[in-house]
Amino acid sequence: MKSKLIATAATLLLAATTSAFSAERVKFEMWHGLTGDLGSAVEEVCKRFNDSQTAYEITCTSQGSYDNALQNAIAAYRAKKNPTIVQVFDAGTLDLLLSEAYVPAGKLMEDNGYKINWSDYVPAISNYYADSKGVLNSFPFNSSTAMLYWNKDAFAKIGKSEAPKTWEETFETLKALKTAGYECPMAWDYGVWQTMEQFSATNNIPIATKGNGYQGLDAEFSVNKTKFVDIIKSMKKAYDDGLVKIKTQDTGATIVQAFSNADCQLMLSSIADHGTVGKTQKPDMQWDVAMLPILAGGERHNSLVGGASLWTLKGKSADEYKGAAAFFNFIAQPDAALFFSTRTGYIPVTTSGFEFMKAQGFYDKAPYKGRELAIASLNASRITENTRGIRLGGYVQIRKEMRDALVEIFANKVSVEEGINSAVERSNAVLRKFEKTYGGKQLP
Amino acid sequence: MEKRATFSNASIGVLFVAPQILLVFTFFYWPTGAALFWAFTLERPWGGGNEWVGLDNFRQVFADRAYWASITRSLVFAGATTFLAMGFGLLLAVACDRGLKFYQGFRTVFVWPYAVVAPAAALAFRFIFAPDAGIFSALVKSNPEFWNPAQNGYHAMVMVIVCYSWKYAAYCFIFFLAALQAIPRSVIEASAMDGAGVLRRVRDIQLPLITPTFFFLLVISITDSFQDSFSIVDVMTDGGPAKATEFMVYKIYFDGFRGLDYSGAAAQSIVLMFLMIVLTFFQFRFIERRIHYS
Amino acid sequence: MIERTPLLNVTTYIVLCIGALMVFIPLWLVFVGATLTVREINIPELHLIPGNHLFENLSAAWERGHLGERLTNSLIMSLGVATGKVAMSAITAFGLVYFRFPGRMLIFWLIFITLMLPLEVRIVPTYAVAANALWPFQSILDATGISGIIASLTGIQLALEWNLLNSYTGLILPLIATATGTFLYRQFFLTVPDELLEAARMDGAGPFRFLTEFLIPLSRANMAALFTIMFLYAWNQYLWPLLATPDRAGFGTTAVVELKMLAPNVSTTGGGTPDWNVAMAGCLIVMLPPLLLVAFMQRYFVRGLIATEK
Repeated sequence: MKSKLIATAATLLLAATTSAFSAERVKFEMWHGLTGDLGSAVEEVCKRFNDSQTAYEITCTSQGSYDNALQNAIAAYRAKKNPTIVQVFDAGTLDLLLSEAYVPAGKLMEDNGYKINWSDYVPAISNYYADSKGVLNSFPFNSSTAMLYWNKDAFAKIGKSEAPKTWEETFETLKALKTAGYECPMAWDYGVWQTMEQFSATNNIPIATKGNGYQGLDAEFSVNKTKFVDIIKSMKKAYDDGLVKIKTQDTGATIVQAFSNADCQLMLSSIADHGTVGKTQKPDMQWDVAMLPILAGGERHNSLVGGASLWTLKGKSADEYKGAAAFFNFIAQPDAALFFSTRTGYIPVTTSGFEFMKAQGFYDKAPYKGRELAIASLNASRITENTRGIRLGGYVQIRKEMRDALVEIFANKVSVEEGINSAVERSNAVLRKFEKTYGGKQLP
Repeated sequence: MEKRATFSNASIGVLFVAPQILLVFTFFYWPTGAALFWAFTLERPWGGGNEWVGLDNFRQVFADRAYWASITRSLVFAGATTFLAMGFGLLLAVACDRGLKFYQGFRTVFVWPYAVVAPAAALAFRFIFAPDAGIFSALVKSNPEFWNPAQNGYHAMVMVIVCYSWKYAAYCFIFFLAALQAIPRSVIEASAMDGAGVLRRVRDIQLPLITPTFFFLLVISITDSFQDSFSIVDVMTDGGPAKATEFMVYKIYFDGFRGLDYSGAAAQSIVLMFLMIVLTFFQFRFIERRIHYS
Repeated sequence: MIERTPLLNVTTYIVLCIGALMVFIPLWLVFVGATLTVREINIPELHLIPGNHLFENLSAAWERGHLGERLTNSLIMSLGVATGKVAMSAITAFGLVYFRFPGRMLIFWLIFITLMLPLEVRIVPTYAVAANALWPFQSILDATGISGIIASLTGIQLALEWNLLNSYTGLILPLIATATGTFLYRQFFLTVPDELLEAARMDGAGPFRFLTEFLIPLSRANMAALFTIMFLYAWNQYLWPLLATPDRAGFGTTAVVELKMLAPNVSTTGGGTPDWNVAMAGCLIVMLPPLLLVAFMQRYFVRGLIATEK
């Protein structure tokens, strides 16, 4: 073992000397959670950055999933081997804010001499990630929101040429589709993100007290007292009438697969799936996206952003932070937004990026036409307490509790009220434990 | 179990054991100790501040009905998969051991499932068992209740058990086969001369002689079913529908790894370890007695 | 040995064929998946007939996953783990079974308990150990005050560091540190007749010769089985290599980790092309070396001891 030790020491020394020779470029790392062709897209962004200048070199490493990226970054941070930048998904924002492990985005850019126009960010995106003072601490990166996907061919059969605007109209449409002989009018996968979070935001309904948690760690989950209960009741009724079918990987097809194959005629899904539907659709199928339906008589509010943001972690050298700042500056440029949105289904995060893409004619033709509605949906209203976002501790567990409850409700194991009440009760236990773990800490 | 004949030089014995002890200490006990310590605190994932809370985390875990259900479920899974995997493994090993024509080919094929990455196997089985598209889809059309692992917890459990046993039967097969082949041919021949038929020889000579391997596989299968089920559940069901396939390790992983509740996960880990030790001790105490060594 | 048992033989073949069929069906689905286009594989039905896009999927997987280099890494790691494990298990079990020393049972149990808590659960501190394998010893020296004494005597501040990240040693050692093999060998050694040791002793053999010349040759089939299983086990590891090889550009990582990176993203907010066809093609490539190894290891599955020809 001793000789191994010496050998390791020798290689370390060797590594140190070789890097001294090629030290013109400062190297730094970014860990992300995307895989498949999304992972490749991120790596292309990194490569474009490396090719654009000669001072810095970023290495982008996929960690296999959002969870693994966060978890491995934590493990590495505690062992003082962390990367400079890490991608953290939306629901993990609060954990990072409370971690004291990050360098605030604003400070990073200021220290390194970059001027960022923070008001250029789409308000629904920047507000979601910002702290209670409205300051952005991370850079919104891959972003999306939920949309209604509808099959134009099927709608033509029932004499319709537009997507439903309200939930009431949606259920009427589903009935008509059923009558017209469609086996599966709408595909649904118990999506909590779409049916609870986006539903509540677009209808300006709270999901938790204290401004959905933005005003304090003592917030309580409260969806059992809102119209969310009613929409689930309506969905359950529609399901019992055969208007809504459950489509998950375990039934043999996800909602996206079922919609793309024209088996189901409507679905609520992320705008990021726009490209997927295009690539896997049944040939010649006519379809489009629309903003999510809202409740009749209500006023449309903005939908929520989903996705992830990029955080800078503490413990790196000044040179590496310079590199990180240069990278963030690079991805904030409008043509970087155009590149990333062309390559993936994600939307631009800044207004200037969006305007640039519009000017380039990006949204004018297939396959990208329709994606501009995502920005319209995010900009549908001024941000209110209920549409800002969600800042609850242990939110991954809360999402799961709600999903489990919905599964039980739709399998007729419990009533709608029972199911939602028990999910809320269990979620509040998660929140209280989180509050206690961070006892005495102020929500930044 | 003790050997009667041993070497007298004890210090050399310690030398033989030392490297393993060193490895186990560094890569298992030290990190495990660090992680289990969190069970008595409220650990913040990124570090900084961990308040001592005594047994609070355990109280919370035991007060949760869902947690007790996950223990029962894990035991059922362990029992079912051990039975299926060992049963099929033994059956195929005995069949191969007869040395009929082409048996080498079969011998190779039966080890393959263990060579398949768990997520790929899980994905294939998900296709097979999907109610809308898989092998049962024709029956499901006429009777939707017949098979629906997306909503029916029992069906999901069956699906996960089958997939896991498929992979693990290969593991049992190879060790059973090795054990069968370690039986000296002379023993079997002697018995054949006495007029014992093939089946009788299997029952009276071969099976009793491989009981040490049987015991090995029993203990290992049960412990592994707690650990290795994770990747299959993760791909196939995510612990669903409605927690129906949420086993102890999956729950630890989800609460700790995804939910970042390190302390709750650590408390659950201690309970898991305690349960495993009790189960294993029970097997050594009561089952190993019936094993015939040499 | 000549016996006429036609009925039993037919039954045996039926059992063997059913077994083989059950092995093949899922593997066939993986294969068919690798031959389809992204559109075809996303049509929700059971695909049983292969398409004709196998080679383009294979080459897409090969390129996107840098599988050439990754397979080499996997091979070195898996051979290292399998060899190390067989060797380590044999000597540990030998020490435990053939010697009597105080605390022997305790040590057996200490090794055994490593089977009872998976890596997932202790990932954060394990990373710290991988980043510096001497951390535990440093802590002990610090806690016992020994490093303080050294510092005051020699003026040297003891700072032990041995970084295992991005190295084969780091990939291999932790995977060897479990009890499966030790337990298997213990079971095997217990079945070895006591007379063998007595005979060896009369031959003048010491412990080391007894192990290498008597026990190891006896355990050939078991050793082959253990080697095969440990190779496959190491080959299919995901979480440990993912953690232990952050430097993908330099050291790289293993094929299975890369395979996971090929698989389409499954996240809460969608996106990403569900090109499972490429992922399945990647599976085929990554599965091939283990399948070949299994076929190769067959030759070591031979009757032990006084094997006579049929």
